[in-house]
Amino acid sequence: MTNSPGRWRVGFLTTAFLAATVCFFASAGTVQAAGEPAHTSRIMTELALQLALIMIGARLGGFVFNRFLRGPGVLGELIAGMIIGPYALGGIAIPGWGPVFPLSGGPLPVSTELYGIAMLASIILLFLSGLETDLATFMRYSLVGLAVGAGGIVFSFIGGAACAVYFGLADSFLHPAALFLGTIATATSVGLTARILSEKRRLGSPEGVTILAAAVLDDVLGIVVLAVVVGMVRAERSGGTPAWSQIAVLGVRAILFWVVFMAVGILLAGRLTRVLKRLHSMNTIAAICLGLALLLAGLSEMAGLAMIIGAYIMGLSLSRTDIAYELQDQLRGIYSFLIPVFFCVMGMLVDFHAVGKVLAFGFIFALVAVLAKVIGCGLPAWLMKFNLRGALRVGVGMVPRAEVCLIVAGIGLSTGAVGQDVFGVAVMLSMISTMVAPPVLLRVFENGSGVRGSERMKKEEVRSVVIELPSAEVAEFLFSRMAQAFRNEEFFVHRLHTDIPTYQIRKEDMAFTLIQEGSHITLNMPARYQHIARFIVLEELLSIQDLLDSVRRMKSPDSLGAELLSGVFDR
Amino acid sequence: MTRRADYGQYHFMLMKMNLQKLLTPETVVLDLEATDKEGIIAELVDILVRAGRISAAAREEVLRSVMERERKMSTGIEHGVAIPHGKSDAVPELVAALGVKREGLDFDALDGQPSRIFILAVSPADRSGPHIQFLAEISRLLSEPGMQQKILDARSVEEIISLF
Repeated sequence: MTNSPGRWRVGFLTTAFLAATVCFFASAGTVQAAGEPAHTSRIMTELALQLALIMIGARLGGFVFNRFLRGPGVLGELIAGMIIGPYALGGIAIPGWGPVFPLSGGPLPVSTELYGIAMLASIILLFLSGLETDLATFMRYSLVGLAVGAGGIVFSFIGGAACAVYFGLADSFLHPAALFLGTIATATSVGLTARILSEKRRLGSPEGVTILAAAVLDDVLGIVVLAVVVGMVRAERSGGTPAWSQIAVLGVRAILFWVVFMAVGILLAGRLTRVLKRLHSMNTIAAICLGLALLLAGLSEMAGLAMIIGAYIMGLSLSRTDIAYELQDQLRGIYSFLIPVFFCVMGMLVDFHAVGKVLAFGFIFALVAVLAKVIGCGLPAWLMKFNLRGALRVGVGMVPRAEVCLIVAGIGLSTGAVGQDVFGVAVMLSMISTMVAPPVLLRVFENGSGVRGSERMKKEEVRSVVIELPSAEVAEFLFSRMAQAFRNEEFFVHRLHTDIPTYQIRKEDMAFTLIQEGSHITLNMPARYQHIARFIVLEELLSIQDLLDSVRRMKSPDSLGAELLSGVFDR
Repeated sequence: MTRRADYGQYHFMLMKMNLQKLLTPETVVLDLEATDKEGIIAELVDILVRAGRISAAAREEVLRSVMERERKMSTGIEHGVAIPHGKSDAVPELVAALGVKREGLDFDALDGQPSRIFILAVSPADRSGPHIQFLAEISRLLSEPGMQQKILDARSVEEIISLF
């Protein structure tokens, strides 16, 4: 009985909401009929309604997939997009309004405004993946990473393009469909692998690091390939097949853009962050950095490349600065809202009718693309320093395709270079590879070492100090005090979202980790910078003495408790 | 990769500059006279007073802060190096002095060995940054192979300063 007012309120609100919705749709038709000024308002209303459905639909799809089907949430978001999109439920007309997702006349089935939001999401996504890249690790494993990345690119590009030609989707390797299918097949999304390996604590293993290094190269080369392909397709559309000399020019231009902006970015990033830090507001700094990423995205589009290239370069430039983790933290909010929108909109682009015709092809293409990565990446790994088990791990780790593959396909679709059928194939590849890779990856990482007996990965000398404390409570308390002590020394301290409490601590070139396991606190530090880390922790430990003294001066808990309770029954 | 090296060098140059600003002929002595821990610290503080780095009025307060830190845990580290230090608002900025006592004396060092090289550092209580950086940098330099011997073998104050 006690909750009946609550029920009344819910009932009233629901009725009011439904009534308002009905009135809204009934009046919408009249507003639209009123004339031209209503046009923008109509578009904006449509966008708001679409985003509302997407936000809710994508999240629910991701939730269902994650919770009940134990698959990656991304797939749920994609499928939600397919279900609510213009080719399915979204295409059904609502009386007095029309379809929520009307088919637009252009090459894309969704409105330019909605696609723009998805593009913004992809820019943020690539900016973040650039930020998350560990350039130092990449450099250390660059040789084997180079071979693995390049092997994967060559095998999958040729495999993808050959598939297109063999099945008659393209008449030659230079046909836009062949070029795009080749590019789509190359784009590894290492995020999924990284997440699985970090959960299994294998990301730091030789295989894990090689996969990460190869993924950076894969991104870079993939982006160069994309730039060349986009250029070739544009050239072809403005008249005739592009000559090889033109292709060479495009390649050189893409690489030049990459090298020049990367060099400028890395050279200036340190100085830029030093200036920005004077603003003393991480919010403002993050906003400015995102602004710069968008600026570079625009510039790269103007240079005839894709927007994501500029965003990725900006992220990579900032990845080695001490604000990288803070930036990631700041951007995570906007990321977690927009990324489901991105995958959902990508799902909406799937025309079931067109995909139906290429279903068999899609399966074969996905199979070829998966095998191409396993062989193309595994072979160089096996030739260089891994045994067969290690090579298989590296190969499988490079299999997942998700966002980059969809972005590439989306660019193809929006420029009109490829049709709905090719886009559908890309969606199939990303779905099949993200479903297949995780279980296989878990299986291949089960047993012993994947490195050949004689090979040992060279690592920078790292010192560890273990501090033993009387209890886990004391350790937990000191753990956060130590993190604060590093913050006070102007270090950027970042709490990792792992099962074991871990802080990642960075300032300029210095990087330490602080780990609490039960009553132990472990401090890991590169030998070159061990002194500063040791002194900071030591001085913090000693300052506890002052704290203990002040605790001794505190009133006894009894009398404090008495003060707290006195007067509790006063009237 | 070049950037990593540049950064390290830049950082190092910055510190090197600071060290030479802090350790001057007036704040470095070859032969400390005191024969116990408290005496050594007082002697180093007096060097700073004479060099004009801290005022005579601040002497007692600085001494107290360094001794207080010493009571929590000895700053006699290992291999004959001791870095007594403290924080006190009696100094406007980080000040440091270096002294040598070749025959060594008991400074309650962690390894139980007599201490021979003493570096005193005092900085304002509220300021973070330079204090720890100085301690870290000086101990990094002193842990370089042969560095301690070079300081002990130095014939003049200038020779010691040139090592930093």
